[in-house]
Amino acid sequence: MSNYYEELSQSIISGQLDRVKSLTQQAIGAGDNPVDIINQGLIPGMSVVGARFKSGQMYVPEVLMSARAMDAGMQLVKPLILTEDIPSAGKVVIGTVKGDLHDIGKNLVSMMLESAGYTVINVGVDAGPEKFLQAVKEHQPGVIGMSALLTTTMLAMKDTIELLKEEGLRDKVKVIIGGAPISQDFADEIGADGFAPDAGSAADLCKKLLA
Amino acid sequence: MPNNYEELSQSIISGQLDRVKSLTQQAIGAGDNPVDIINQGLIPGMSVVGARFKSGQMYVPEVLMSARAMDAGMQLVKPLILSEDIPSAGKVVIGTVKGDLHDIGKNLVSMMLESAGYTVINVGVDAGPEKFLHAVKEHQPGVIGMSALLTTTMLAMKDTIELLKEEGLRDRVKVIIGGAPISQDFADEIGADGFAPDAGSAADLCKKLLA
Amino acid sequence: MTLSKSQYVRANYQVNATPQLKMLSDDQCENILNGALEVLERTGAEIHSEEALEIFKKGGCWVDGNIVRFPSHLIEWAIRSAPSRIVISNQKGERTLFLEGQNVYYGPGPTNTYTIDPFTGERRRPRKSDTVRAAKVIDALPNISYAMDCGTVMDVTPTLSDVHAFQAMLENTNKPIIHWGFGIDQYQDIIDMAAVVAGGLEALQKNPFILLYSESSPPLRHSAEAIDKAIFAAKNNIPIVYTPCTFAGGVAPATMAATLVIAVADSLVGLVAGQLVRKGSGFVMGGLISTMDMSSTILSYGAAELSLLSAGLTAVARYMKIPMFSTGGCTDSKVIDTQMGLEAAFSILVAGLSGANLIHDCSYMEYGATSSLELMTMDDEIIGMVKRILEGVKVDDEHLALDVINKVGPGGHYLAEDHTMAHFREFWSSSLINRLRYDGWKAEGSKTMGQRVKEKTQDIINNHKPEPKPDHVLREIQAIVDRAEAREANKQ
Repeated sequence: MSNYYEELSQSIISGQLDRVKSLTQQAIGAGDNPVDIINQGLIPGMSVVGARFKSGQMYVPEVLMSARAMDAGMQLVKPLILTEDIPSAGKVVIGTVKGDLHDIGKNLVSMMLESAGYTVINVGVDAGPEKFLQAVKEHQPGVIGMSALLTTTMLAMKDTIELLKEEGLRDKVKVIIGGAPISQDFADEIGADGFAPDAGSAADLCKKLLA
Repeated sequence: MPNNYEELSQSIISGQLDRVKSLTQQAIGAGDNPVDIINQGLIPGMSVVGARFKSGQMYVPEVLMSARAMDAGMQLVKPLILSEDIPSAGKVVIGTVKGDLHDIGKNLVSMMLESAGYTVINVGVDAGPEKFLHAVKEHQPGVIGMSALLTTTMLAMKDTIELLKEEGLRDRVKVIIGGAPISQDFADEIGADGFAPDAGSAADLCKKLLA
Repeated sequence: MTLSKSQYVRANYQVNATPQLKMLSDDQCENILNGALEVLERTGAEIHSEEALEIFKKGGCWVDGNIVRFPSHLIEWAIRSAPSRIVISNQKGERTLFLEGQNVYYGPGPTNTYTIDPFTGERRRPRKSDTVRAAKVIDALPNISYAMDCGTVMDVTPTLSDVHAFQAMLENTNKPIIHWGFGIDQYQDIIDMAAVVAGGLEALQKNPFILLYSESSPPLRHSAEAIDKAIFAAKNNIPIVYTPCTFAGGVAPATMAATLVIAVADSLVGLVAGQLVRKGSGFVMGGLISTMDMSSTILSYGAAELSLLSAGLTAVARYMKIPMFSTGGCTDSKVIDTQMGLEAAFSILVAGLSGANLIHDCSYMEYGATSSLELMTMDDEIIGMVKRILEGVKVDDEHLALDVINKVGPGGHYLAEDHTMAHFREFWSSSLINRLRYDGWKAEGSKTMGQRVKEKTQDIINNHKPEPKPDHVLREIQAIVDRAEAREANKQ
């Protein structure tokens, strides 16, 4: 049924939610292996999207349409698979730091990560160190990602890293940061493992850190 | 009366025509040597103006106000001196070439030269080679200056130089040229002795060539 | 006989004393404002401050958890209650910035996380010494009318970056200051320092030389820090600039009109808070409004829409008779280059034409991430040029000069006319823009604009001596900084 998958990928790329839904439903009805639908239909489409965004051929709203279509396909397939069999590139806890209510950047990263196959646990905005700590304990993610838009709130990122150290968990998780005022220098200063300048590169960064 | 000359110079610099007239009249009335009035009062003021214009401290209309004031002073003193005693840095024949009616630039140069002590014979606009030749024969200037604003008329400069050669007068007079389309390269091409990029530097050029 | 027009009178003769740019008609402004009123009444705003929620509730808003819905009449009352004019003094108490009507003043921007060193060209973290340099350059440039910190200084106690930057500005310029703070403690430090300079809190309130600055988190979301600062400013009777950063496509719909609606609505939330605390407290509407670049996701500081939206927002502010804090002189470029020049020039011109009272960010490079004193120096030149354009064309007998035209006649020139002498100084003369003839330019070293800008900036930093403040004032300011340091040390 490779034609399905080709068309499914194309529909993801063009962000046609309804088409993705009906093609996924067709594949399920035809008795395809749900994991194949994900690995050969949905993810290849999203990989193209990621590459095109990176090269400037696609814009953010188009990428988000693709991500939305991908998610709709996943929602149909997921119930058919045992949770442990759902392909996942890894777990990422993500949130905007304490005092900061900006979440558009964080949500963008979150969608890009999910589209790249990561399981994302979103702890929301105004997330203090304890909230990140709790999520690390509960979900045991490979990566935590912190976001800040303001120069006045970016300093809070360091507090989370310090708390993870105190709790002896710093070595168990990679810490990545991002947001308008953030830079590689700042990441080095506060002892983060990585910095992603934009949503597109966050998934690449996770892949590199979890390799 | 050195104090009067100091004030006379200042009045030239500030372009106060009436004040220059009355100070010059006073000096004449007090029996001063007319040549001293020129050399110690009028010319030193204009020298300052020239320097300030060059360094960007004075603007063209201010320079012309000074030149006008200087001229008013000269008109009062000149009748008291034999023409051969009137201090002159040299004679310059100046004109705009054949086919060209632009005379702002030429007149500006003319005023700057007069202010610098040169005797200027202005042959006007649309001046063909014969007109320049005639003026050279009649006045025997040290320099002739040709002006052109148009690329279509600048070529006429060469004709004057050729005619001077034919008449065997080329060695007796320096030829300088100027105007918007003119450059040092063009001066070299047509065998002129010099090029002045602006009115301020024309006097310097004459001084150099007549040294 | 000379031609004289003094013998007649005229009727219905209209004059454009300045160029005219009105991005929106009154009807369109009303439409945008009504849109914002509808959003605040129907959708409401999310407020993350207990104190603010209490104030809004008492003021007659519908409070449902964190969501506050505002009855239109309350907002309309607040718009009328806020002063239509705020006069800001310099640090010597001289009234200098008249934020009223369509008076235009330009200045730099705050809180960049990087700065370009004007001596080494290095892009690096801002230090306190950089704000010292910035203040000197601000003090020296004639077209920069007020100070902002030009970067968050990072070589001091991190939570006192704001207080140290304020000290650096007080010590190196006497121009008015617009300044931010991490929180209420720092705002208090800043007001205390300003009061020392002004000669007491009451003198500062009567003749403020500072405007406090606070940023909300659009769309329709106000952090405790943001809204509490608006409340604090009103309580202390110091005017505030309340500025949402609204960018089309990201935190607002992708259309210009809707982006204006969100920006106006978010400003109005800050306005209502301040007016409920103190009727008539000084409020300046912000601020930063542009598009999100859909490839890089940056908030663009060079977009055409920055100018378009800023002029639109200014029109609405003017319609409401509330002073406006707008944006210009900034760029997305990373270096001192041609992109920088053209983006800065467009935004300075359009913001000026729009009649915004305070136009900030004349120092912002790299979509706001980096500050550049060289850009500020170049902006000063662009502003000079724009101010000349804003003077418009005078049309009257003296300026028509028909007698002079008749006197000079065909083929003559005007260089030596008294009339020329009387008026040629109205021409704007450049200091950085090069108009030498080729040979002159070559003789001066064939320098590019970038080189000239760098030299002028360096020269100001090396040689400009701002008028110093009395020693006792400097000591009292230092004591407040020390007090703040002790407080922050205790918090650790």
